[in-house]
Amino acid sequence: MNTLTSPAPGGAALAAVPAAPPARAWWLPLVLLLVLAALPTLAQAAGLEFYIGLVRRILLFALAAASLNFLIGDGGMIALGHAGFIGTGAYTVVALTDFGVQSAWPIWAAAMAVSALAAVAIGAISLRTRGVYFIMITLAFAQMLYYVCMTQRQWGGEDGYTLPMRPQLGFGLDAQNEAVMYQVVLALVAVAWGLLDRLRGSRFGVAVMGIRDNDVRMQALGYPVYRLRLVAFAIAGALAGLSGALLATCNSFVSPSMMHWTESAMLIVMVILGGLGQRWGGPVGALVWLGLAETLRQFTEHWQMPLGVLLVAVALYAPAGLATFRLPRRGGAA
Amino acid sequence: MSATLIFEQLLNGAGYGLMLFLIAAGLTLVFGIMDVMNLAHGSLFMLGAYVAALVHVHTGSFALAVASAIGTMAVLALLLETTVVRRLYGRDHLVQVLATFGLILIADDAVKMLCGPAPLLAPTPAAFATSVELLPGLPYPAYRLLILATGIAVALGLYALVNHSRMGMLVRAGASDRWMAVLMGVRVHRVFSGVFVLGAALAGLAGALMGPVMAVQAGMGEAILIPAQVIVVIGGIGSVRGAFVASLLVGLVDIIGRAFLPPVLRTMLPPAVAADLGPLFSEVAMYALMAAVLTFRPTGLFSPKAA
Amino acid sequence: MSLFQVEGLVKRFGGLLATDHVSLTVEAGQVHALIGPNGAGKTTLVNQISGLLAPDAGRVLLDGHDLTGLPVHRRVAAGLSRCFQVTRIFPKQSVLDNLRLAAQAHDGSSLRCWAPRWRETGLTDTAVALAERVGLQQQLDRTAGTLPHGAQRALDVALALAARPKLLLLDEPMAGMGPDESERMVRLIEQLRADMAILLIEHDMDAVFRLADRISVLVYGKVLMAGTPDQVRNDPQVQAVYLGTESLEAA
Repeated sequence: MNTLTSPAPGGAALAAVPAAPPARAWWLPLVLLLVLAALPTLAQAAGLEFYIGLVRRILLFALAAASLNFLIGDGGMIALGHAGFIGTGAYTVVALTDFGVQSAWPIWAAAMAVSALAAVAIGAISLRTRGVYFIMITLAFAQMLYYVCMTQRQWGGEDGYTLPMRPQLGFGLDAQNEAVMYQVVLALVAVAWGLLDRLRGSRFGVAVMGIRDNDVRMQALGYPVYRLRLVAFAIAGALAGLSGALLATCNSFVSPSMMHWTESAMLIVMVILGGLGQRWGGPVGALVWLGLAETLRQFTEHWQMPLGVLLVAVALYAPAGLATFRLPRRGGAA
Repeated sequence: MSATLIFEQLLNGAGYGLMLFLIAAGLTLVFGIMDVMNLAHGSLFMLGAYVAALVHVHTGSFALAVASAIGTMAVLALLLETTVVRRLYGRDHLVQVLATFGLILIADDAVKMLCGPAPLLAPTPAAFATSVELLPGLPYPAYRLLILATGIAVALGLYALVNHSRMGMLVRAGASDRWMAVLMGVRVHRVFSGVFVLGAALAGLAGALMGPVMAVQAGMGEAILIPAQVIVVIGGIGSVRGAFVASLLVGLVDIIGRAFLPPVLRTMLPPAVAADLGPLFSEVAMYALMAAVLTFRPTGLFSPKAA
Repeated sequence: MSLFQVEGLVKRFGGLLATDHVSLTVEAGQVHALIGPNGAGKTTLVNQISGLLAPDAGRVLLDGHDLTGLPVHRRVAAGLSRCFQVTRIFPKQSVLDNLRLAAQAHDGSSLRCWAPRWRETGLTDTAVALAERVGLQQQLDRTAGTLPHGAQRALDVALALAARPKLLLLDEPMAGMGPDESERMVRLIEQLRADMAILLIEHDMDAVFRLADRISVLVYGKVLMAGTPDQVRNDPQVQAVYLGTESLEAA
């Protein structure tokens, strides 16, 4: 009889862990969605239309940060070139608009596809490296994309490209209307984040987190580690591409600076501030960072300095990030 | 292209490479020995350029300007090391990225607050504003010769320091196996401070020298950091010799893209496209070089930790 | 033909010949022990067999399939599973979650990204069965990292068993264990041999001589000799290698 531990009196094994999901405030995302959906109406009533554009921007960076959080926090792949995929999404919009495509939905879908493909290509090579070399190679690829776009004169090169007007939404929606665009962005970001959230609780999400914790053991267990990492990389790239495409659409302006490594570093900062690997890490980080930047901007043109001080302070005193002080979470993600 | 023109451009490439070496040497030592990813190293380069430009304009003495740049960066480094960097040892790389990115933001805004957002004028020192006839028919700017000479002198000095001095021996021990060095009784913290200050001094020197030949403005640190990081990886993290070789390689690749390739491309493509593709080649070639080196030597050319 | 065959494996690191034309066979239901002094190259050999390291020459065959050149996860799918010398479990997760992770690898695709995993009771059932196999059924909700060393090694074995292997590679399972824990591990291995072939790397000679049907002695990357425990015990070369006969006579 196997007795590494003393037998229970009844002899039967107990599945001591209930098979239910970790209890969460399931209603929170819905409440948040409703509040955000009501924002344009409230803002317009208060004469604060400016906030529609600001919150919209925060939503888009929340998506990009969430995708990076999945990559770094859940997957353990520290990629310092994520802004490159925001760029591929944005420049797909430029390319297709330049080519004459007018409908928004195929443009955005194409942006996601192009970004996913770029991520597969970049990931296929980068994921063969580890540690600091992986960081450097992902950085290198993003910088290459940056320089490629700098040299594309038909897309404005260094000066950037101004979209003559926003692509059409159809369904009787006016893309030029800020509030309408806001609701479209909110809907897309909500759906994308919801899908990502669901993915984190699925087999794939659990496998990715296992790979983060011990990739050698996962290999020895029989998981196709490289393939799973590549798929995660592609998903993160596609979501960042969507974010970039929507940013391009809303701003009607795209420039290579969106892909500069400092933008990638800023995304990492958002993720760490918000809480690495935390469910809401990306959105919280984007909100804190962009919210603070915007607030400080009202007071001084040198708003970067206090933010810099904040980062140093957080790094030294609260490196687990800010989302850890939020909702109580039970156990891991599955 | 004539032989003299080629030679001239190669000298330019070597000069650029040597200045990158000044920055990369400090970076590789900090990363190799202290295992700290310091994104703000480029900011020390920028601050050196600013200090030198300001001192030069106000006192008229270039020598004083360079000395000031080195001195202030050394002091600043000591301050930073004691307050911030010391608490980053042994921490996750991501935390280091967070902190040093914060430092970049502080530094960029500090110079904008003090000197405004427009690029600062860093004049070429009068004594070197002439040309020297290196070869018949090849006048070469004396200032660039100064850059070359300084670069070579620093390289030799570092070589002597790292390979033939007690401090250098401790540095090499720390680079190849830090924990062993600690166990052997090396006063690791003193070595760390020394390395960090040395790296900062070199970066400040590079900034002071490069000021007259590039735009002194906020963000110049971020621009130079990437080539420096690539050089560190190609050369092998922790190896000064590796940084030297890699710097020259990168300088060569850069000048090929900027000076040698465009004339060739102009014969095949419209001039505007050719002008753009040259610098693009430089960048892409630098990363391709890194990828090629890592394929055959996964830890870089001269990694002290190579298996 | 044997269930598991290693033919002429060679591995060089620069000038060092770490694996010198090593061959061995393991039959179904057999325990084949691999012993040798430290630095003999046992772990290097095991890494080549499991796929972590590519050999310079030679073949690895399991049940007629040539595993040479296959990545690790394909070898696992073919029936070759291993435990590590330094325990590799997921210390922050519960024992049950550790085992469910192992079970998932062999129960359909891990690319499924829609269905919430907590609904998959099948994985939990498999995990519980694995825990029972090694005697950890009372520890299911304990955090794996808080288990005593012996129990962690048992968990390591349970994780490897999820692959329903034909050949189980045990890399020093007794390492760091006291006499009680060693005894339990030996009993576990005795139980397992009924269902699979086992390649056992060990220093603990008591365990080796109790369990092994065949023993190969590895010295400087080369198989010095291979034979039954009695043959190995009495071989003068082997005795010389182990610097005297005390350690072998005690077994």
